[in-house]
Amino acid sequence: MDELTIAMPKGRIFEEAYELLVGAGYDLPKELDDSRKLIVEAPNEKFRFILAKPMDVPTYVEHGVADIGIAGKDVLLEHDRDVHELLDLGISACYIATAGLPDTEMDEVTPRIATKYPAVASHYYRSKGEQVEIIELSGSIELAPLIGLSDRIVDIVSTGRTLKDNGLVEYEKIADITSRLIANPVSYRLKQQRITELVDKLREQVGR
Amino acid sequence: MTIEMFEKPLGMRDDFPLIAKQKANLRKQGTQLIEQAGYELLQTPTLEYYDTIGKISAISDDALFKLLDSQGKTLVLRPDMTSPIARVAASKLLREKMPIRLGYYSNVFRAQKREGGRPAEFEQMGVELIGDDSLYADAEVISLAWDLLQELKIGSARIVIGHTRLLELILSDFGLDREQSSKVRELFVAKNGVGVEQLSKELPIPSGKLASFLALMQATTVADWKQWINGQNEEQRKLYRDMERLEELFERNGLGDAITFDISFSSHMTYYTGLVFEFYGAGSGFPLGSGGRYDGLMEQFGLQVGATGFGLRVDRLLESVAAEQAEEPHVLILFDEQSEQAAFEKAQQLRASGKRATLQYAPAVQALEPFTALFTEVIRGEELHNG
Repeated sequence: MDELTIAMPKGRIFEEAYELLVGAGYDLPKELDDSRKLIVEAPNEKFRFILAKPMDVPTYVEHGVADIGIAGKDVLLEHDRDVHELLDLGISACYIATAGLPDTEMDEVTPRIATKYPAVASHYYRSKGEQVEIIELSGSIELAPLIGLSDRIVDIVSTGRTLKDNGLVEYEKIADITSRLIANPVSYRLKQQRITELVDKLREQVGR
Repeated sequence: MTIEMFEKPLGMRDDFPLIAKQKANLRKQGTQLIEQAGYELLQTPTLEYYDTIGKISAISDDALFKLLDSQGKTLVLRPDMTSPIARVAASKLLREKMPIRLGYYSNVFRAQKREGGRPAEFEQMGVELIGDDSLYADAEVISLAWDLLQELKIGSARIVIGHTRLLELILSDFGLDREQSSKVRELFVAKNGVGVEQLSKELPIPSGKLASFLALMQATTVADWKQWINGQNEEQRKLYRDMERLEELFERNGLGDAITFDISFSSHMTYYTGLVFEFYGAGSGFPLGSGGRYDGLMEQFGLQVGATGFGLRVDRLLESVAAEQAEEPHVLILFDEQSEQAAFEKAQQLRASGKRATLQYAPAVQALEPFTALFTEVIRGEELHNG
């Protein structure tokens, strides 16, 4: 049986993905995430887990150093990586939306958008026929409209709490986001049987 | 930003001696095999017109390196080898002598936008078989590519085969129009299962056929394909028969286990019209090469003939080829004024006997120890005097 290297995002998504795999009948060590180790083996299943930053998972998979991975659709949309998107795991559901201060219009001359997702934001506004200036931030995006850096933000919304607490409102929804099982195109062919089996087992689990 | 002296344009690489040597070996092995199979090697120019090769090559426009010639015409650095060879075959020498077998080993250029791991210049090695539209031509090029992978000892090599035309016919039987088909094809190229599932809800596919439609991505053998073949359709029947014969032929030649027949396999190269295939191997996270039938491309050059071929990427082959560590003997002869003539004679003698020998004037070497460590044997001038 071929060993499968799986790139897993650390943090919130990890827990849910772990539950899914265990639920699908895979025999994984109990405490995968709580050490500081970056590579963890699951010898009973011949799995090797790489614990990575969520944004980096598609990169590992694209280069083939991980055979498969679990990545948020937001990351896949932002970075156009050459990976196969095999299954919607239905976990960590949220969406990308535009938001801003209530009852405001965008600046007519140079509307400015702050975001962690410059490619998604740029694509969205272009498809609406609007030219905007994108300001890339790496966190606490909600700050931008509050202190006058931008007219709108493009960001992940899960409960809407953060927006509300900061006096912002949602304007348009851009895309629904869930976590996806992705595969390297070469691994998919060379280890097709193992990967398909995994997909089938997870699909059953997701369907419940 | 100023350019530092050591920098190279994005995606350009130096081949250091070890890599250069591995490449030379690979080239020798590869081109020899290609010639033995009856293909003639040729070389086409590095620069081509944007209006001909640039537009026909199916490489996206922003991946082309463009420049202007002295008349203001736009040129491109050749982005692939198939279209230049099609141009040569259609315009010159070869019209009367069809079918013609041509092979190449050349560098091609594709501008990169993203970070490391993607060269903007790389060598490709491959063949084109022009003027034969039988399935035997397809079988020949696939088998040749397979032999090449074997010769290079690529681990767990694998071939995936699809059929552009057959897929088109099947999709239209599902009731999809051209635009819908091409959307589905795009998702198939990326093996975007999630996307296909989502899109299928918007397509006019009767609910009874939905499962069958989604199963398109699961097929691995020609027998699996049968469920989608419409027996009423002459063309589908014929193409399917061809696929069966092809599978049979590969089984007989021992390739059977290495081939996946995936009806949903498609290429982003839009000029393929029939069989399409891709090669994979352990060691590289990217496909080793691809190929297919491109009758449509020949038509663009005004020639109504069938053509098929493959190209393998040398940079990715190198990742997959087990690096041969065996150090070959390399003699260093250090000489000074007194031993100069004896050293020269010794070197000639060694070289004539097929050994590799480096002559070096000893006082010109600043650090003797690290320098001599590069060689398997060191002969000093004094020794030659005495001996």
